[in-house]
Amino acid sequence: MRSITKLSLVAVLALTGTALQAQANNASITATASVQTPINVVGAQPLNFGNVFPGVNKTVVATDLTNAGRFDITGQASTPVTLSFTLPATLGSGSNTMPIVSYAGVHAQNSTGIGGIGFLPSAGSSPSLNASGQLWVWVGAQVQPATNQVAGVYTGSITMTVVY
Amino acid sequence: MQTMKRSWWVVIAVLLLAAPLRAQGKPLTVTGIRGVTFGAVLPGVPRVVLRSDPANSGQIDIRGPKGLVLLTFVLPVAMTGPGGALMPIRFGAGDAGFSATQAIGSQVGFDPKQPFTATLPNNGRASVFVGATANPTTNQRAGAYTATLILTVTVL
Repeated sequence: MRSITKLSLVAVLALTGTALQAQANNASITATASVQTPINVVGAQPLNFGNVFPGVNKTVVATDLTNAGRFDITGQASTPVTLSFTLPATLGSGSNTMPIVSYAGVHAQNSTGIGGIGFLPSAGSSPSLNASGQLWVWVGAQVQPATNQVAGVYTGSITMTVVY
Repeated sequence: MQTMKRSWWVVIAVLLLAAPLRAQGKPLTVTGIRGVTFGAVLPGVPRVVLRSDPANSGQIDIRGPKGLVLLTFVLPVAMTGPGGALMPIRFGAGDAGFSATQAIGSQVGFDPKQPFTATLPNNGRASVFVGATANPTTNQRAGAYTATLILTVTVL
């Protein structure tokens, strides 16, 4: 009986010892990514209709570099982006409103608008940033003051969203 | 006499059990072959690398005794970039694959977040492939990001 106990102990040790021989090994690899330049958008110039007279529509075309609204975009060079807009239907002055319609846009890879491409802001557009990672966007529209439009300063906000 | 007989049976049983395990003497090696490469990533745009992507998926080769092995990953939750900036990295339930032929086209998918039991073939060689998704924020800081994945293989 005592002999069995000893042998059992030997057996347990042998099994345990064998189990401890189980092999394990490891290796590592890396995950790498190169994040490109984030997009930055600046509302550089407001869309300015100037003086408007009751009953007289006034249009600012997108190619009017002085009065058209302008957004300046920077980001990763030579990379396509998607432009989308939130466009007001009216300008407001206190409780008074004035319709703003017929939005038009131009985007160009230079600040002078040369070679610019027209688009409908309501439909958005997908231009590319230039080799320096820049893009310029101009927005024009038409205001339609009523014949009895209340005098005052009318404003509204145009929001452009740019994503890769 | 009866006691001695029983004792020897115990010894024989021990030897029989131990013999197959000792036959697993072939050394186990685990080698990182290729990292997971996301390449150029744009802020706000998730980038997915599939485990079946021959150029960008991660690959780790295993050599060892034929039979069962346990695969266990240690996975990062983010890659570290310039100035300690972090970019989330996600591993899906099917983002790891085991190939007993080492061919990227013949993988058995598994969840790298869970231990996985695989079988090394007769030649003792196999490969593990890994994919992942990088999730840059819209204002993710530009620059190079890295993280480390560790695979531990245990012979069962």
